[in-house]
Amino acid sequence: MKILGWPQKSTDKAEEQTVEEAVLTSEKMQSINLNAWFGDKKVLKDITLTVKANSVTAIIGPSGCGKSTLIRCFNRMHELVPNARMSGKILLDGKNIYSSDVDPVLIRRRVGMVFQKPNPFPTMSIYDNVAAGLRLTGVKKGHNLDEVVELSLKQATLWDEVKDDLKKSGTSISGGQQQRLCIARAITLQPEVILMDEPCSALDPIATAKIEELIVSLKRDYTVVIVTHNMQQAARVSDFTAFLYLGELVEYGETDGIFEDPRSELTEKYITGKFG
Amino acid sequence: MARLLDAGLEQLTVMVYKSGEVAKSAINLSISAFMNGKDAMEDVHDLSDVISSMTVEIENKAFELIVKYQPVASDLRIINSYMKVAYDFERYGRYAWDISFTHKKLGALGECAVASDLMPKLVEKVSLMVSKSVKALREHDAELAKTLADTENEVDELYFAYLNQLSKARAQSKCVMCNLLVSRYLERIADHTTYVGEAIVYIATGEKISLR
Amino acid sequence: MDNYAYRKFKNRLFFALSLVCIIVALIPLLSILIEVIVRGASQINFEFLFSVNGIGPAIQGTLILIGLTSLIGIPLGIMSGIYLSEYGNNRYASWIRTFNDLLTEFPSIVIGITVSVVVVIGIIGSFSAIAGAVALSFMLIPIVARTTEESLKLVPNSVREASMALGVYRWKTILRVVLPAGKSGLITGALLAVARIAGETAPLIMTVLGSRYFFQGFTEPMASLPITIWRSALQPSAAVQAQGWGAALVLILIVLSLNIGVRLFSRGRIRK
Repeated sequence: MKILGWPQKSTDKAEEQTVEEAVLTSEKMQSINLNAWFGDKKVLKDITLTVKANSVTAIIGPSGCGKSTLIRCFNRMHELVPNARMSGKILLDGKNIYSSDVDPVLIRRRVGMVFQKPNPFPTMSIYDNVAAGLRLTGVKKGHNLDEVVELSLKQATLWDEVKDDLKKSGTSISGGQQQRLCIARAITLQPEVILMDEPCSALDPIATAKIEELIVSLKRDYTVVIVTHNMQQAARVSDFTAFLYLGELVEYGETDGIFEDPRSELTEKYITGKFG
Repeated sequence: MARLLDAGLEQLTVMVYKSGEVAKSAINLSISAFMNGKDAMEDVHDLSDVISSMTVEIENKAFELIVKYQPVASDLRIINSYMKVAYDFERYGRYAWDISFTHKKLGALGECAVASDLMPKLVEKVSLMVSKSVKALREHDAELAKTLADTENEVDELYFAYLNQLSKARAQSKCVMCNLLVSRYLERIADHTTYVGEAIVYIATGEKISLR
Repeated sequence: MDNYAYRKFKNRLFFALSLVCIIVALIPLLSILIEVIVRGASQINFEFLFSVNGIGPAIQGTLILIGLTSLIGIPLGIMSGIYLSEYGNNRYASWIRTFNDLLTEFPSIVIGITVSVVVVIGIIGSFSAIAGAVALSFMLIPIVARTTEESLKLVPNSVREASMALGVYRWKTILRVVLPAGKSGLITGALLAVARIAGETAPLIMTVLGSRYFFQGFTEPMASLPITIWRSALQPSAAVQAQGWGAALVLILIVLSLNIGVRLFSRGRIRK
């Protein structure tokens, strides 16, 4: 029985999708039997999980459990470390990004990344930082750079704060602003997926709150995967949560379910702070 | 590893149990007064007030824990449930007072010639349910809590049977009303014990079930 | 009480000792400087500096050598440094690095002789400016490679990661992101290396040879300050020797100004 005025749980968008569309577009990225090593040390053990399109997926777990390694496999940054290797598959829209005919550089343009410590290019201005993606990848033909930069900064909710200072150095703004600048830089290339490795760890609470709002708004146009050690943050911003412990995927499911009643005893212990 | 939250949870737990114990004694006191014709309204009234103020404290404590520690999973379920249970215990106290008030105004069981063994049975069962609910809460015993469902059914049967009896009884209307009201209060107390039971099951398993 | 006074004394003694050592170490340098200034200052006049009778050709030669050497050595040195820093995380690179370090210590006379045989005799057929530049480059490249590697290693890895994560190819990341970030260190290192090379004599003896005239062509012998100083010192004539002192003063001034220029440059960068 529908009660007038009662908030609906599902979005209208979901109701409009046909069944086929829902099945096809819902899985943006998947890892299948993913293992990863640094030299002889195995840091990821047989991880299989799905990242749904236009959702925020949080990856939580104690330090050293392999969270960062996991997302670095998602954009083929893991292999840049000497002695690093992996096995298994990672699918982006159904296609394995590790097959031999795939150029890792092109994958990284479709799967962007924001790091823990904000890292704007030190020799470039704010404007140049945001435009760097387009300029350095040569994908700038036919784009009006000014418009693109403005759009990216607006999406990253940084525009109003820096619009009069675009020529200032990228490192002359505050930490929270730098992180939003890095997010703007990442989204300029219009990646399909944005990976965030503890994006708020180095920021103060107010900057953190701003970034969290930003993450939720990004969901509309992008798929977000965020690594965080802050349980409440995962509860606040994510739709799905994966709990990693010592390189293994212990539990994965809808965030509400995990934080209300986790299936695994280990998950329960971790999220209530009984260890970790 | 003791978390900061644990100390707060301890306090909350102690408060809720105490509240349960007081509620239990209030009910037992009012029922036995009714069965035996003694006047306990003042005492029951005091107990009921105590429970009310305890409930306020429990709610405050629960909110304080939520705001400070942003609990999740089992911690959140416990705090959530304790708040509900505190309200149910307040209801116990309130109904106990209602019973003794009705008894005072309209007369004890002994004064009524409604011969029936249903009332004592009802009383016995409800008293049992109250004890069970408090015990199950103390031990977070979901199995014990689930048994309340059966007893609830029995209480409902007894209640309706008694209603039936009363409607045909040839006795003073004051008597009929008194017994009607008291049995009604007893039935409501039984309902609230099932709510407590549901909360206990939720704490232990995360399931939201219905025991009625 | 006694103990404390004794410890204070030991402290002061140690301090005094180290102060004395550094003064002793600096005395030779200062005395050289003073000696050169005193003996050479009298020689400095317009004719001395710019005409063919004075050390005009030598100054010109030294500047040309510095220019040529930089042209050959700096790009090669920087590219080597880039390899060592950006691609040099493997075993082969550490061998190369070791070899590079060896080269920085190589006896300059041996380099001179080798280039003499290969370039002067073998390739060009005569003592020449180019040969001199080649010999000096062999000394310059290992140093610049090292300083470049050090400067680039100072660029935090987070910057490289940021660029790679955007989907920028490795070479472009190095060229457009890492190099600009390490720019000041690179320039400082290169200039200091050049300042070091400017005063080398041994490699020049058998490659450039020396000359009394202004620049006559890249494949001809050329004058240079170190050689002039050396030759002047060997002559019995006091007048010629005095010229040598003048040349020495000029050479020191060139090297000092390069050094000071670099320091001012890097201080300006830091203030920015």
